[in-house]
Amino acid sequence: MMTVALETWKALGTWVHVVTTDADELGRATTAVHEVLEDVDTAYSRFRQDSELSRLNASPGRTVRVSPLLATAIDAAQRAALLTDGAVDPTIGHAIRLAGYDDDFSRLAVQGGPVNLRAWRVPGWQAIRFDRHSRIVLLPPGVELDLGSTGKALAADLAARAALAAAGAGGVLVSLGGDIATAGTPPSGGWRIHVAEDSREKPDGDGEVICLPAGGVATSSTTVRRWTRGAAVLHHIIDPQTSLPTTGPFRTVTVAAATCLDANIASTAAIVRGETAIDWLMSCGLPARLVENDGTIHYIGRWPDPSGVAA
Amino acid sequence: MNALTPIQRDRGLQRLRRLTFGATAGALVAVVGVSYVAAASYAGKSSSNASGTALNTTTSTISSSSSTTSSDTLQSTQAPSTGSSGSGTVTSGGS
Repeated sequence: MMTVALETWKALGTWVHVVTTDADELGRATTAVHEVLEDVDTAYSRFRQDSELSRLNASPGRTVRVSPLLATAIDAAQRAALLTDGAVDPTIGHAIRLAGYDDDFSRLAVQGGPVNLRAWRVPGWQAIRFDRHSRIVLLPPGVELDLGSTGKALAADLAARAALAAAGAGGVLVSLGGDIATAGTPPSGGWRIHVAEDSREKPDGDGEVICLPAGGVATSSTTVRRWTRGAAVLHHIIDPQTSLPTTGPFRTVTVAAATCLDANIASTAAIVRGETAIDWLMSCGLPARLVENDGTIHYIGRWPDPSGVAA
Repeated sequence: MNALTPIQRDRGLQRLRRLTFGATAGALVAVVGVSYVAAASYAGKSSSNASGTALNTTTSTISSSSSTTSSDTLQSTQAPSTGSSGSGTVTSGGS
């Protein structure tokens, strides 16, 4: 009989959860996830001076051959930008630093003096000169990458696949700070996911629980990773059109998709798109749950509505 | 100055015709050649550009659209269903 097993630890500045359907395989799966996350941290952490991404950002105007993992992450970020008409754009690196998010969030001062914020459009993903076959990248001066959003979701997908390969059979779920990827055969009834605005909420707390047969789930929210500079309350989701934290009507969006990466692309884009998010999500055909700033909840597509009334 | 004989005049005219034909053919060859070079350059087959680098934005777009990470649309999955908390439940939320 299969027994679901869970392991939890902290990495990449967030909580990591690994669930396996076979308790005997939890150790191997966890080891594989650790290895993937170490590789991810080395390849594209924005907060490590020795990461590949930091060195790339510090080399404007020069061609740089990057590792296969960083190339995959850049490729995923460019695809995200392409599929969202630039709503999710990796060239927000400079903008998010100017907004004050310039270090691992655990070391970031929650309150600080005022910063000089002005609206300007980020360079845009088209400015990145990238050949994924040769893995050569050239960032023009002024272009700085932040792969935080898509990078974390991609890491969850890669970790889930690696964990399943290590386990050999059964099913694996990997959660990186609330971005969830699954691989293999789910437990009976599907993977149980508590949907909340903050990934630190206890899974048995108040709120909705969904059962996911396969794929991934991601939540983007402006209610977490917030900091104050002067009188301005800021958060980590940047609108590429303005280089400033988003100010749209939705504070939290959760999406289910075939991969955690696609779910994250959609949830982040929905926050950035604001007023047009519901129509856009429906056109994508992705089940989603949106929370307005006043707490009103919308259920989109095939997302299970606890009241039984779909949008 | 002596007047040309009819034979000398005919030879002169034939020489003039040959020169005219040669010049016209040469001009045609030159036009075709220049056009080919221009067309080849406009199509982007030339390896030269101002920065001297082989990378360009077009390459970037192609690499994105042919990504191996996934397809050119966001992919949906089987619809989730309503459940209840239990063993192995994890939380999806902002972080």
